[in-house]
Amino acid sequence: MTAPQLDDLDRQLIDILSKDARVSNRKIAADLGVTEGTVRGRIKRLQQDGLIAFTAITGFSLSNHAKLAFIGVQAEVGRVRDVARQIAEMPLVTGVMITMGQFNILAICVFDELENLVEQASDPILSISGVHHVETSIAVKTLKYNPRVVRITEKDRVIDNGD
Amino acid sequence: MTSDFVVDDIDRSIVDQLRINGRATNQQIADHLGLTATTVSSRIRRMEDANQLRVVAVSDFSAHGYNVLMEVAIEVDGRAASDVAADLAKFPEVFAAHVVTGRYDIDMLVVLRDFDELPGLLLDKFSQVAGIRSMMPAIAVDVIKYKFDVAPIEEQVPE
Repeated sequence: MTAPQLDDLDRQLIDILSKDARVSNRKIAADLGVTEGTVRGRIKRLQQDGLIAFTAITGFSLSNHAKLAFIGVQAEVGRVRDVARQIAEMPLVTGVMITMGQFNILAICVFDELENLVEQASDPILSISGVHHVETSIAVKTLKYNPRVVRITEKDRVIDNGD
Repeated sequence: MTSDFVVDDIDRSIVDQLRINGRATNQQIADHLGLTATTVSSRIRRMEDANQLRVVAVSDFSAHGYNVLMEVAIEVDGRAASDVAADLAKFPEVFAAHVVTGRYDIDMLVVLRDFDELPGLLLDKFSQVAGIRSMMPAIAVDVIKYKFDVAPIEEQVPE
């Protein structure tokens, strides 16, 4: 994995936009002492390279899914990718990573009622062919969470023509 | 996590537009939904002020120089899990720390620049926190899905 080449201007842009993405290119350009064209071009490049994405992060009143669960999955080694892809299709599942450790897949879920977590995530995962064991743990307290730093996967690379 | 904040269909449709393009202007959103730009602007502000909405750029781990993502589950012994988690949350490498039910007491997501940093982090930094009985790291070798649009929202930090 090669580290992307980011200069100070890129970092300043990321910093400004991670606080509020609705600042106009004109204001950013004025604040940073560069042209609007430069701002537009930089933002486009950062998006194309999958380094930033714009999104509306909503709190729990708007999402209905107020709780977080981590599901560790032990799947047959030769079928891990296929199993992980099937888990990623499930609506409550917000994150899936293939891991090396006690479990070979970690699924992150948001849910409202415990019953729905079992019916729509834990049980369906356990029914996938190639899955041997699942362990569900529910977050009861969040001490730290930084929603601004993420893994931008391929399909999130939507390029807009902002401004 | 309960809140009296009420949202209606107009709020939700504005949020849907912002999810598609967080940088759309108030006027573009208004035109699309048959509203006025003033309504769009005041609705967005109301949700932001209630800490229910942030329209932001999210950035990839690699933009910050982080190339390794891992989950670390912690078993706690002789100390409140919340206190141990609060101490662990102070390390910049820890970007998520939750107290959880199940075999382990704390679940963390941790980022590193390089695998070389792993021994130092586990053996010199995390191990200095009192109350850790065991650590179970799981290194992410591939991220299949990572949705980032629902999250607890922190209070607005005044500029």
